[in-house]
Amino acid sequence: MTDDAVGGLVDHLFRHSAGRMVAVLARRLGADRLDLAEEVVQEALMQALTTWPYRGVPDNPGGWLFQVAHHRALDRLRRDGVLRAKLESLGAGWSAPADPATPSVDDELAMILMCCHPALPRPARVALTLKTVGGFSVEEIAAAFLSRPATIAQRLVRAKRQIRADGLGLEMPADDALPARLDSVLDVLYLLFNEGYAAHGGDNLVRTELCGEAIRLARLVLAHPSTERPPVHALLSLMLLQSSRLPARADEAGDLLLLGEQDRSRWDLALIAEGLTHLERAAAGDTITVFHVEAAIAACHAAAPDEASTDWPYVLQLYDDLLALKPSPVVALNRAIALAMVEGTAAGIRALEALGRQRALARYHLLPAALGALWRRAGVPLTAARYYRAALALPVSSPERRFLLRRLGECEAEPASR
Amino acid sequence: MAKFLVLARGQGTDPRMSPEDMQKLIERYRSWTERVARAGQLVHGEKLRSPEGRVVREKGGELVVTDGPFVESKEFLGGFWIIEAPSYDAMVEILRDSPHLASGSLEVRQIEEMTPRG
Repeated sequence: MTDDAVGGLVDHLFRHSAGRMVAVLARRLGADRLDLAEEVVQEALMQALTTWPYRGVPDNPGGWLFQVAHHRALDRLRRDGVLRAKLESLGAGWSAPADPATPSVDDELAMILMCCHPALPRPARVALTLKTVGGFSVEEIAAAFLSRPATIAQRLVRAKRQIRADGLGLEMPADDALPARLDSVLDVLYLLFNEGYAAHGGDNLVRTELCGEAIRLARLVLAHPSTERPPVHALLSLMLLQSSRLPARADEAGDLLLLGEQDRSRWDLALIAEGLTHLERAAAGDTITVFHVEAAIAACHAAAPDEASTDWPYVLQLYDDLLALKPSPVVALNRAIALAMVEGTAAGIRALEALGRQRALARYHLLPAALGALWRRAGVPLTAARYYRAALALPVSSPERRFLLRRLGECEAEPASR
Repeated sequence: MAKFLVLARGQGTDPRMSPEDMQKLIERYRSWTERVARAGQLVHGEKLRSPEGRVVREKGGELVVTDGPFVESKEFLGGFWIIEAPSYDAMVEILRDSPHLASGSLEVRQIEEMTPRG
């Protein structure tokens, strides 16, 4: 019986082991038996849950789980009368129970690539990656995407049906197919991270965990020589640099703080250093991706001691690059804010007002919020207040609502300076 | 120190529980076990295999074997611990914050010592 008081299980051991075990088993059983792999893994975890409270946690919890899942898979195959050859492939690939400390990169990478297969609909890729690779439950995925569990379950069933019907496999793609397959993986990781980042500091814990999961999976992709490529370094760099600011993004009351208001001593220096290292490695290739440019912008902020000494002209130039790569109204909005820092508030306001005439941003609260901030900086609190009220009339999260209300209150209390 | 048998009854756990929640529950049992070690001593614990079992009786000189469950109850016996503690009061204090109470009940019985004085 283990009753040493030293530490508990490794954080997220069950969740990560679940993904790893499913990947290892499904790779040997075939993608068409993904369900079986998931079932025996869930059974192994349940067995731990019902045994360990009485017997204590075994010395090698991950190895214990692997062994139980493996035995259960063999039992199921025997019961189903599966060919001897299949049984042997499972046995041979399992000379010793895999140590949880030795990640099975090949198997997990193959699984990520399959879950993010471009043939699957994009929402299915996201759900499948979280469920199968990430070890999230259907309920957790539904909570993370503010959806209903039945919807997510249905999406997963359809995706698995398509995997069988289209014969999507767990083989590594050929060299010429790999870049497109990798792009699809990066797209899913970027989406996971942004979902989590937008929700960070909110009361939905599962959503905030998406950031950590996206970073973990990016590291996993980089751990394999065939997918250790510059765009992956760029995305990981971006995610690390953005994460470095998470501890400073809200004040003690949980209210959001703008970049210029944040206590930069609370930024995570280790994450910044690691992010910059990956940005350097990202520069090795000859292609520039959206991730490269966004990481470079994040690096400009991370490197500046305060808002005033930020290299705004360079940030503006990067936003121009980004706009060329990804022409989106949201990017244009951020570019306008950088423009205000370089050419003054009037130029920023003109750019934002031009954007306001586009329909795409009509319901986007950050546009009036940004206009409010610039009018206030220009010394016209009455106009600023009008924009903050317009922002509050649009759908916003509760931390954002508190933020906007505070700004509105400040504007109403301020006398016009000119 | 007296020895106590703690029988853990419950309705089982939801098979759809997420891996993360399972780990959190195991961690709660683990920290409970550590508290047991401070108040007394955990001697042994075992999980009992699924709710099935056999009851063996003799009826009219014949052996009668029936399948469990033995008691008409929604809660089945999932496992047991043997814990050393000074008294029933001490045992109740130990069991007060057991994570098992969230999904089941605990029955605690003192084990009779086999001393010649009885």
